[in-house]
Amino acid sequence: MKSNPGTTETRSNLTASGGGQVTSFESLQFTDEIHRLILAPTTNNASSLTALLELPPPQAIELLHSSDSMKLIAASLPNVEDFKGSFRFPSNTGLTEPDARFSVFSGEANNSNEKRHSPESKNLSANLEKAVKSEPAETESSQPLVSDPTVDKRTIKRKDRENKVKGSRKKSKTAVNESSEDAEKLPYVHVRARRGQATDSHSLAERARREKINARMKFLQELVPGCNKISGTALVLDEIINHVQSLQRQVEFLSMRLAAVNPRIDFNLDSVFTSESGSLMDSNIPGLVMPAMWPEIQGDGNRQQYQHQWNVDALQQPVWGREVCNNYITPENSLLTYGSSANSATLQANQLKMEL
Amino acid sequence: MPLSSLKPKMRPHSSLKQEFLKKWIMGLQRCSFSKKNMSILERKKAIKFSADIAMASARNGTTCWSRSLISNASKEGSDIHVVEQILGSESDRPAVENKVPTRRASVCKKIVKRSCRIRRRRRRRKCVASAPSSIAKHLVRKRREVLKSLIPGGEFMNEICLIEETLDYITSLRVQVDVMRSLASASVRASE
Repeated sequence: MKSNPGTTETRSNLTASGGGQVTSFESLQFTDEIHRLILAPTTNNASSLTALLELPPPQAIELLHSSDSMKLIAASLPNVEDFKGSFRFPSNTGLTEPDARFSVFSGEANNSNEKRHSPESKNLSANLEKAVKSEPAETESSQPLVSDPTVDKRTIKRKDRENKVKGSRKKSKTAVNESSEDAEKLPYVHVRARRGQATDSHSLAERARREKINARMKFLQELVPGCNKISGTALVLDEIINHVQSLQRQVEFLSMRLAAVNPRIDFNLDSVFTSESGSLMDSNIPGLVMPAMWPEIQGDGNRQQYQHQWNVDALQQPVWGREVCNNYITPENSLLTYGSSANSATLQANQLKMEL
Repeated sequence: MPLSSLKPKMRPHSSLKQEFLKKWIMGLQRCSFSKKNMSILERKKAIKFSADIAMASARNGTTCWSRSLISNASKEGSDIHVVEQILGSESDRPAVENKVPTRRASVCKKIVKRSCRIRRRRRRRKCVASAPSSIAKHLVRKRREVLKSLIPGGEFMNEICLIEETLDYITSLRVQVDVMRSLASASVRASE
């Protein structure tokens, strides 16, 4: 921190002289290591940053320059972190009170800044965008840097910090898409952290899982009739449960019915299909309340398939007719009983619905 | 399970129905072969049983519910020949073996759940779910449990798996009902 006042003083001279003299002046002040780093990119930085910031006060420029140069210094310097923080809010200090300037130098000041200047968060976010956009431009232009990986790391760290900062700004109601747009433009971010949401791995995994579940629930809603209009997971699940239960009950009833209709369970269907006249699916099922909801019922096509099926399988069964005559009355009686049982079952289904 | 296969309207139902019918009749034949004079309830059981197994085997071990259905059925000694008949020499046997470790895991899970339930009972009087989100979560959790009890082998699945299995189970149940209903109506007509 002690070097900063000194540098700011020099900066005030530098800004007056212009970009060209900046490099030479700086080289006098800093160590030799910093020489090489600063010489090449500072000119670019100066021009780009002043272009970005509209009429910034001189203090802001000083900080900007210092932070820019500091950014390029190898990570060995101890106050890199602080300058990283300061870099992220360069125009912040300019636009807000001068007291904020000092707080910028500490990493924790970010939060305090936000809390103090939440109404100005719009400006903050806008500036963040600008600052963030300028970063890749600078990093790309600064080719002969110490090592690109270190710069990459720093930018990644910066992104993480930004994301965390964004996450902490839960109450700010600025444009939601800004942060996501930022993330999309920058090349280093791999995980998208939305505004107002935590960015630790657990919550991200949770969110991914929840999205998966929601996607599958949508499929279920499409499948189960009558679920499209319902909103809310619990009610949709209710409908699904009812549907599954009703289907299972239908299977039970149908199997009972089939058991009643034929005395032997291996039925011969050749005679069945030859004798029948009407379409299969116009089911004149007496008494049974079957909700024929789904539209995929195929009429004649299905029947023909069955016929082909049976010709291929070539079941050898005794004649169907004789046995049916004996049991002619009983199937009808049993069908009527099934009708009543079906009705009672639907009543039970309604009761279940009420309970749920 | 790939999500694309779950899109309900793209399913070829006709082939599924054919397969189901074939296997079902096979199973019924096998049933009747063993017992000659069955009562109506026995017949109904046999019909339903072979229908279920046929439905499950039509999935060829791709879904969890089918595997658990088949493994449940294979445990009973009396009807295992029906299962064998339907399955034939398919690859469902190794799938059946896969269920065993999950059963152990489920037993452990049940023990843990039981102990948690006991602990929860003591706390239940105190905690009043005032936040609407927690109430909603509670409701959803209840219904999820009901769904788990409905779908065969549902207790072993996590939420994502459960929903996928439900999708598949619903489509196969529908196929089953369609085939049975058409068969029943056809046989009724034939008897008239």
